[in-house]
Amino acid sequence: MGGATIRAATLPKYPEFPMRLLLSALFFMLSALASSAQDLQSLLQENAAQIAKPSRTSIGIVLDQMVATGLPQVPAFLEEWSDKNVWQDEATGLFYIATEGDDVLTLTDIDTGAQTTAPVDGFQQLKPNGGVRRVIGTALVQFQLIDPDTTRRTAALESIARRPEASQLAPLIASLDGEADPVLRTRKANLITILSARFAEDPADRIAAIEKLAQETSVETRAVLNQILATKPGVATELPEANIAVQHDPMTDPDGFYAALVAADLAQPLTTPAAIRAAMEAHIVDGRVGDVPVAQLHTDAARARAYAALAAAGTVPPLLGEPERNNALRSHVFYDAYIEDDPAITAAARRALDQVENAVALAQTVDLGLDALSLASIYFLAAIGLAITFGVMGVINMAHGEFIMMGAYTGYVIQLFIPDYTIAILVALPVAFAITFAAGVTMERLVIRHLYHRPLETLLATFGISIALQQLAKNIFGTQARPLTSPAWLDGAWIISDVIQISYIRIAIFFMALFFLALILYILKRTRLGLEVRAVTQNPGMAASMGINPDRINMLTFGLGSGIAGIAGVAIGLYAKVTSEMGADYIVQSFMTVVVGGVGNVWGTLAGASLIGGLQKGIEWFNPSNTLAAQTYMILFIILFIQFRPKGIVALKGRAAAD
Amino acid sequence: MHNSFIARNPSVLWFLAALGLFTFGVTLLSEATGIGLISTSFVKTLGKTLCLCLIAIAMDVVWGYCGILSLGHFAFFGIGGYAIGMWLMYARTETIVLSSLAGQTIPATPQEISDAIGNQIFGVVGSSEFPLIWAFSDSLVLQLAMVVLIPGLLALVFGWLAFRSRVTGVYLSILTQAMTLALSLYLFQNDSGLRGNNGLSGLQNIPGFEATPQATISIIFFLASAFALGAGYVFFAWVISGKMGSVVQGIRDNEARVRFLGYQVEGYKLFIFTITAIVSGIAGALYYPQAGIINPGEIAPIASIYLAVWVAIGGRGRLYGAVIGAAFVSLLSSWFTGGGAPDINLGFYTIQWTDWWLVLLGLSFVIVTLYFPKGIGGLFDYLVRKPS
Amino acid sequence: MIATLLEVSGVTVTFDGFRAINNLSIQFPPTGLRAIIGPNGAGKTTFMDIVTGKTKPDEGRVVWGEENISLLGLSESDIAMRGIGRKFQKPTVFEAQTVRQNLAMALKNPRGPFAVLTHRKTAENAAKIDAIAAEIGLTDSLTRIAGELSHGQKQWLEIGMLLAQDPRLLLVDEPAAGMTVEEREKTTDILRRAAKTRSVVVVEHDMEFVRRLDCKVTVLHEGAVLAEGSLDHVASNQTVIDVYLGRGHA
Repeated sequence: MGGATIRAATLPKYPEFPMRLLLSALFFMLSALASSAQDLQSLLQENAAQIAKPSRTSIGIVLDQMVATGLPQVPAFLEEWSDKNVWQDEATGLFYIATEGDDVLTLTDIDTGAQTTAPVDGFQQLKPNGGVRRVIGTALVQFQLIDPDTTRRTAALESIARRPEASQLAPLIASLDGEADPVLRTRKANLITILSARFAEDPADRIAAIEKLAQETSVETRAVLNQILATKPGVATELPEANIAVQHDPMTDPDGFYAALVAADLAQPLTTPAAIRAAMEAHIVDGRVGDVPVAQLHTDAARARAYAALAAAGTVPPLLGEPERNNALRSHVFYDAYIEDDPAITAAARRALDQVENAVALAQTVDLGLDALSLASIYFLAAIGLAITFGVMGVINMAHGEFIMMGAYTGYVIQLFIPDYTIAILVALPVAFAITFAAGVTMERLVIRHLYHRPLETLLATFGISIALQQLAKNIFGTQARPLTSPAWLDGAWIISDVIQISYIRIAIFFMALFFLALILYILKRTRLGLEVRAVTQNPGMAASMGINPDRINMLTFGLGSGIAGIAGVAIGLYAKVTSEMGADYIVQSFMTVVVGGVGNVWGTLAGASLIGGLQKGIEWFNPSNTLAAQTYMILFIILFIQFRPKGIVALKGRAAAD
Repeated sequence: MHNSFIARNPSVLWFLAALGLFTFGVTLLSEATGIGLISTSFVKTLGKTLCLCLIAIAMDVVWGYCGILSLGHFAFFGIGGYAIGMWLMYARTETIVLSSLAGQTIPATPQEISDAIGNQIFGVVGSSEFPLIWAFSDSLVLQLAMVVLIPGLLALVFGWLAFRSRVTGVYLSILTQAMTLALSLYLFQNDSGLRGNNGLSGLQNIPGFEATPQATISIIFFLASAFALGAGYVFFAWVISGKMGSVVQGIRDNEARVRFLGYQVEGYKLFIFTITAIVSGIAGALYYPQAGIINPGEIAPIASIYLAVWVAIGGRGRLYGAVIGAAFVSLLSSWFTGGGAPDINLGFYTIQWTDWWLVLLGLSFVIVTLYFPKGIGGLFDYLVRKPS
Repeated sequence: MIATLLEVSGVTVTFDGFRAINNLSIQFPPTGLRAIIGPNGAGKTTFMDIVTGKTKPDEGRVVWGEENISLLGLSESDIAMRGIGRKFQKPTVFEAQTVRQNLAMALKNPRGPFAVLTHRKTAENAAKIDAIAAEIGLTDSLTRIAGELSHGQKQWLEIGMLLAQDPRLLLVDEPAAGMTVEEREKTTDILRRAAKTRSVVVVEHDMEFVRRLDCKVTVLHEGAVLAEGSLDHVASNQTVIDVYLGRGHA
């Protein structure tokens, strides 16, 4: 806001500028014909003092003259001048474009382009200051806008967008018809609207442009509208004749508004407790301050009495306290006034901004939805393996997070050996699956097999494995985060608008989650293994009596769940850091996902991941500064959620669920 | 009444005798009251260990006896620590502020004193306002009440919600873990009013005892911790003896059967969950003045899991097992991680225990769970059972 | 004396579209023995789940005692306290505790946590335990750990625990499963004696055992009462033979 105010404040100088430019151009075209001064050097020599020591305020006229000559060498000269490549021969006073090298200057004649060399001594480099260079730049814009080189036109438009000025409007409009490049043409039209909204002569043109801006949601549009709506706070005894944006009730922030009064020299600062205290200390007479013994000055009331006595004696200024402050506030009006004087324009801008902000809010909701979706995909990937083992075997695997970590480190190690990141990731996915599959099967054979029917002990034993694996990773890879770099084609983001954008990695993770959802559904519903897994889940005893080997099924299921954790690790490692503790960061969320979704059901896990991902993003949106608070509230929500659906969103019903 | 209770539970007498002997020995060897063979910092370590033993027996009652694998009792421990820490920090800061303000020519107003204290305590989180939860921090009595009330109330509300909806087994464990995580995440925030991740510090300085050397303070806290452990042991031994013990262990072994016998299982679980939470809070209130500092990291879910590990290694379902587990593992842990254990040179690799201790602990925990479900305490069965 | 202790009327329970209990109505008098038989999936266990409060029916009424209290909506422990005892199919005793502790826990005494915490042993309670132990033949085993008992002894202990509860209605699920002939005989005696002062409902599979009980029989099929009467009466019912006995004898 502050920046906008300052910039708007420098505005009134410019509106007459284009008119003057056109007039002087006309004049000099005529005079050029008359004097037939066809070389730039002579024009420069006429204004040699101005060129050598230019000032921002007066250089404009000289520039107008140069532009008016219509000489083809003018833009090049202006650029070199701006880039400090113009030197003046101290003896002859002639200007040259020069490049410096080893005490020798290579001089280029401004008009003919003939090159000579000369020693640096005897030449003076022209160093126009920043203000002058800006004015030169503005003059250059009209040349650049019609430059045959597309990149230069693009650069000119960028420079206008960065620093929009009234003077640019006319050349911009003039260049529009000749523009052949469709992209640049759109951009020019867009900039014309933006510039017209701010600088057009006719208020009707401005309003029309503003209304056009209301159709867009870009950051640039919002900035323009906000600049038009820039306000300046003011205070007065009566509301002045101005385009008032808002009048404040000073009692909403009495101290703040009183500070404004003091700053405007309309009031004296209040007597602060520190000032009272200083007054006490400065006026102790015989152990008393204004008849009050020093020892009694430990209450505000006593100090007030003592101060009043001092003030009555005239030793200190009278006390300015809350009543005085309130009186002062009541006798003034506090307002924000638009810097733009025309209420019709500010009203139009306000309407347009409201419309834009509505559209932005809608876009933000969509963006939030996409964010939630990608978070849900990550939670789903992290939790689905856990859900399988928990659902099928009733086993909580606390080391699941460490399997995720193992997968991520696998990706990191493979990248050390395969420099091509795309190939590395493609190799890492199956290798991570294989490694964590093997780790899962090993763990099932060595530990979990012996602990069926003792679920709490499984929880603790796998926790033991979890801390051992975590420390092992720390010992091998160190405590600092290791990078898992995504291939270049996954860098960047899919930008739909200034508000809605989503990084390619997250999109990739989303599709990965979809793929694994499909794969797991396929395995469970369409394969022999899936049939046997479902049989063991629903009735292990019956399954065993039908010739299914529950031991083998358990082993494979555990391997599958662990293997998916490894793949999730590669995915998570791509967008987060790979550390030995990364598994622990996801384990509680994964448990939540499984519990909220409902055990033993892929769709349940999907629902749980969506709910938790959406919830977390939703809470973050309400309280964007604080992800810690968002997580706290989310967990509290889950604890309450469990109250109402103890079996999760997708609950198994019937006698199978009763046990 | 108590005679018969102790007569029926001879292990209580044995435990009290051992604890008394240990306490007496440490007192004799300490710097403040004895010949100085045990350093002040080691007295503190021992005192802290006794507090850990106290929370371990609470954990044993709730898990080993009642079958609720709570992964949240260290949160109650931490709340106890925060509750007493608030008074310690407030009172000590007040002393410092008053003495620094005393040098001024004009006596300070209550507001000035409060501002100065607030500035001292909350300056690190960019505030000087006293949050609402510090309302009673100037009163030792009220903060001591908080040590008991807040863990108790939290356990009561959480337990009521969880048990009422029949959340059991691993679900309950995960839910308690979530509660712990929520609490620690909350405390990590700067605007939680408890100084965010800075936590509370300087707790080893006891207001009113500025002149007392730390050696003396350490032995006083050691004795208090020993007394609390002894009292807690007798209390829990009494609770789990007799019919209450029967019902509680019945709930552990077959909850549905107990329910069909007409017992309101939820009420029993709630009772056990809450009293163990309160004892955990008391243990925390004794622990943190000896540790000197408390921060939200102490409450993280991992701490509660370690608590379960101690109890499992010591032996569930017997109170002395929990004590042995907590003392053994926590002292061993500080020996290994403190660099006390000698490195092992394998020629091609040197095992540094500071790096490898957790690996060893994790694996030994797996082995204990698999092959020694009764833990270290199980060894006593061989000694005790022989005569009969 | 009232005529009906427990009245179940029009009860229906559905699990995922499967009607486990279908408009079931059945009554039990204050005393006497009743056997409920039926093939697998007839709804016997679900019926007991409903009466004891473990399963909530979709519709229907379950009315109890003189005051005609509805048992629907009461918790399992409330229902147990009102005088319904249940023995599970698998013997469920507290295996880590002694026989005496098992019986003491079941004895009819205040059930609140604080009453239990301050509970003291009394001679009166000890006498009751001894009497029940004698009834179920476990007098010599009072100090043994329940987990060490034989299968039959565990079944008796569980029946003993039910008797200690002093219920007005005893629901017994397959008490004779896995017992030897002598053990069955003893079990029959215990149940018949108990039925003199209270209502005893035995859910059984084993026809021989039901014959030995010599009582009124209710046949359940597909969640509803198929036939009721003496064993001989229902055994001659053609529908019963078709759905159950016929298959059973084949």
